[in-house]
Amino acid sequence: MSLDEPTDASLLRGVARGRADAFTVLVRRYDGRFHAIARRMLGRDADAEDAVQLAFLRVLERARAYDPSWKGSTWLYRVLTNVCIDAWRRRRLDEPAAAPRTAVVQAVQAPQAAERIDVERALARLPGEARIILLCCYVGGLSYGEIARVRGISVNTVKTQLGRAKRQMRRHLEERS
Amino acid sequence: MTTSDIDERLRALLQSGELPHRRAERVAADVRRRAARASRTATLRFDLTASSRGIARLRLGRGLTVAEGSGARAVADEAREQLRQYLAGERAFFDVPVDLAAVPPFQRAVLRSAAAIPFGTVRPYAWVAARAGNARAVRAAGTALGHNPVPLLVPCHRVVRSDGALGNYIFGPSLKERLLGLEHATPLYVGCTSTRIVCLHGCPHERRIGPDRRVVFASVAEARSVGYRRCKVCTRRAAAAGRNR
Repeated sequence: MSLDEPTDASLLRGVARGRADAFTVLVRRYDGRFHAIARRMLGRDADAEDAVQLAFLRVLERARAYDPSWKGSTWLYRVLTNVCIDAWRRRRLDEPAAAPRTAVVQAVQAPQAAERIDVERALARLPGEARIILLCCYVGGLSYGEIARVRGISVNTVKTQLGRAKRQMRRHLEERS
Repeated sequence: MTTSDIDERLRALLQSGELPHRRAERVAADVRRRAARASRTATLRFDLTASSRGIARLRLGRGLTVAEGSGARAVADEAREQLRQYLAGERAFFDVPVDLAAVPPFQRAVLRSAAAIPFGTVRPYAWVAARAGNARAVRAAGTALGHNPVPLLVPCHRVVRSDGALGNYIFGPSLKERLLGLEHATPLYVGCTSTRIVCLHGCPHERRIGPDRRVVFASVAEARSVGYRRCKVCTRRAAAAGRNR
């Protein structure tokens, strides 16, 4: 981020004052990452789209309650993960566990497509809490401390969850190969 | 395969720059439209009939209460408050007792099935009929729900048609859609980051959690997996109300 670009915190203050342009800049900055996380939590693009909209709606409604002692991105990821986890709860209850999960399939022509689909599937089999932590880490690029604050857990729990999630993914991938 | 291989694969998958870059203006406009819709929440008023066993009847009305029997008035007042919180998105469960003594057995079984549908989700009429003990009585189940004496408290609005259409509702299809929309946007399990206790949304303890200390969980088990414990108050109350229904 260059120096003249506004920080997340100043954009959130702008949203709180009702500035439409500040909100659009925030959406532009986070839309891609939010969508990438929501899609891996919920599987379907339509559900992910809905969750991202709901998260931005919460940002719009609650920006006035934003406490500047929070880092802007941490606050935004808290909002997103809260929405995604509840959407995942509903989705899981709607679909019996026996039903096969549809992996997020991308351009199949790419040479690494099969490998990517395998990783997507292994990711989709992780428990919700472990998965959202992993996604915050890899998609959001959050530090352990930030993830701990986002999910209201200790830094040690973040580490153990990440370690366990990766071991579990390795098992799933080895089963397949 | 080592853990660092996994690390590499995750990076390749999740940081490959394939993040969809959509038009932020369109997304922002969609969100604003949704905000405008959400703020148009009409206030509903209910007429309640309560007995000493619980709420026996709930209808849209002028806010009247008919209470007969000891404690009936208090139960009605509590129900009114819980309904207000529910419609404001501040509550995801009801723990006031309902009185289904005057309801015939099959209808009672249908209402019990409907009461078991988790908050924020929907089930088809056929599911409710099967759970009530007669998988072929789908229409009868629909009729039983249409005559639900205590809508909302027994969530018959969570029953929809198998083809995905919402179907009818005792208070009209548009209110059904609004209720489902409200539940869709309201979480069920909320944890407090300072006490590490997870509550049902609407529990008296949960209502005291500050805005920056609220973290949503998918289930008590998921919350436990990261070091939270369940609240003793709302768990017990919700379980007692579930038995009662």
